[in-house]
Amino acid sequence: MTESSDSADARHHLVSVLMRESLVDRDLQARTEAPVFRMLPDCHVVKIGGRSILDAGRDVTLPVVDVLGRALDSYKLILGTGGGVRSRHVLSIGADLGMPVGVLAQLTMADSLGTAHMLGALLAPRGVVAIPPEMFGHLLPLFMKAAPGVIFNGVPPYSLWEHPPDLGRIPPHRTDAGCFLLAECFGCASVTLVKDVDGLHAEDPKENPSAEFIREIDTAALRKRRLGSLPFDRVLLDLLDRARLVRKFQVINGRRPERLLAALNGEHVGTIVHAAS
Amino acid sequence: MKDAVLTELGARLVAGSLTDDSLLELTAAPADVRILPDANVVKVGGQSFIDRGRAAVFPLIDEIVRNLPSHQMIIGAGAGTRARHAYSVGIDLGLPTGVLSVLGTFVSMQNARMLHYLLARHGIPFIEPAQFAQLPLYLAERRAAIFFGMPPYTFWQQNPAVGRIPPHRTDTGAYLVSEVFGCRSMIYVKDEDGLHTRDPKKDRDAKRIPRVTVAELEAMDLPDLVVERAVLDFMRTATHRRTIQVINGLVPGTLTRALNGEAVGTVITAD
Repeated sequence: MTESSDSADARHHLVSVLMRESLVDRDLQARTEAPVFRMLPDCHVVKIGGRSILDAGRDVTLPVVDVLGRALDSYKLILGTGGGVRSRHVLSIGADLGMPVGVLAQLTMADSLGTAHMLGALLAPRGVVAIPPEMFGHLLPLFMKAAPGVIFNGVPPYSLWEHPPDLGRIPPHRTDAGCFLLAECFGCASVTLVKDVDGLHAEDPKENPSAEFIREIDTAALRKRRLGSLPFDRVLLDLLDRARLVRKFQVINGRRPERLLAALNGEHVGTIVHAAS
Repeated sequence: MKDAVLTELGARLVAGSLTDDSLLELTAAPADVRILPDANVVKVGGQSFIDRGRAAVFPLIDEIVRNLPSHQMIIGAGAGTRARHAYSVGIDLGLPTGVLSVLGTFVSMQNARMLHYLLARHGIPFIEPAQFAQLPLYLAERRAAIFFGMPPYTFWQQNPAVGRIPPHRTDTGAYLVSEVFGCRSMIYVKDEDGLHTRDPKKDRDAKRIPRVTVAELEAMDLPDLVVERAVLDFMRTATHRRTIQVINGLVPGTLTRALNGEAVGTVITAD
């Protein structure tokens, strides 16, 4: 199984199709395109907004919890949470103190973990709790067999290794991105982002209540519109275009919590964003 | 009504959208702190270096030890041929990029452990991502620490645009350590004198490029590169790490000269 040095190459290689090759070589990369196995095809990923849902208090959160409880009777749910207002606050203090983006990313993990534990406490009667991030990914299939659902803090484990953003110092991979990347890796059935707006609008609907509602759009058309703000992490557009298994996500309004059941049922009740075809 | 508990930036961030460009611009206004400005990040190649075994590695270990009195080093390990083997088996089995990323992490971990044991008698620790909080102490006390080069993205590793191989591997992981801590330099120890116009292992007419900008490299549109493409992408938007150097660690004294700030391989600059 091994091939050691030949006359021209003092390195020792294991026999494989990638042996001796530069992984940076474009032709080689193209040869590795292949169908991908779905690890958790029956699980649905649902991101519960931090600022939009949990931070809005019991009037908004408890109806969402009630619907999640009903959804857990029929669906296997992987719930991610956002960090909300506390993340915004620590970002503002951290940025003011000159902390680099990787440190800011590390700091925000704690806020959404707090939110995850709040949601976990409320769903505890259902056997659904927040899982520590260190063990979440590796044990996820086990948890999904043992419980109707799990909660994680939504944050991808980029931490100090967060990418330098194009503009400013806000970590680009936040909890929407963490939920999407997880769903893509595990080949989950769907990704639903639960926010406090009906979906995507041409302008922020909180500032202009008559802003045009965009019911369905793909990433190419969305980029072309150059919208000033989006109700989800902007990096999702890039992640969606490179996704192999999850080619769309839906943004729905958690103030109309029954829409979550419809979304899990495959219905179009918010804004669906597709990968560019 | 002004909320005295929130700074101006705090008030904007709590109320505003993190996808709003004007708000993002504000967050860049305060100057970044350089957290470890005296440390050099040195990444030792996997396939290019560690897989060559004792003949390549022992002289480099000696050179690292000789440089400890004058240079702090955060030493990252590449993965190499076992990662290629694991990737090829994993791709054949249809495993997603996130799982391949976990597999690559294991291999760079093995290489980091071996470098660690070779440097252990000098009191140099191996640290995992969760132990990076101790890094400043180790650098102050022992002048160096070893880490595995893979960024800890695991299942959250992004897909590449083409193919299945994780796009953010050990070059990228080491680069981001250098960037986030505002380190003094980023040196890639490989088995070539730097970047060439063609793969020098396959083409004897390949010419070395001593100094090049990211934009020039892109214009050349080379089919192959000496560092991961993601490193070049990040250099464009990075705050601190605006240059990297790729050197030939097989030539004695090259690492020392690079640590001393000499251009001895290929220097790639952001602009």
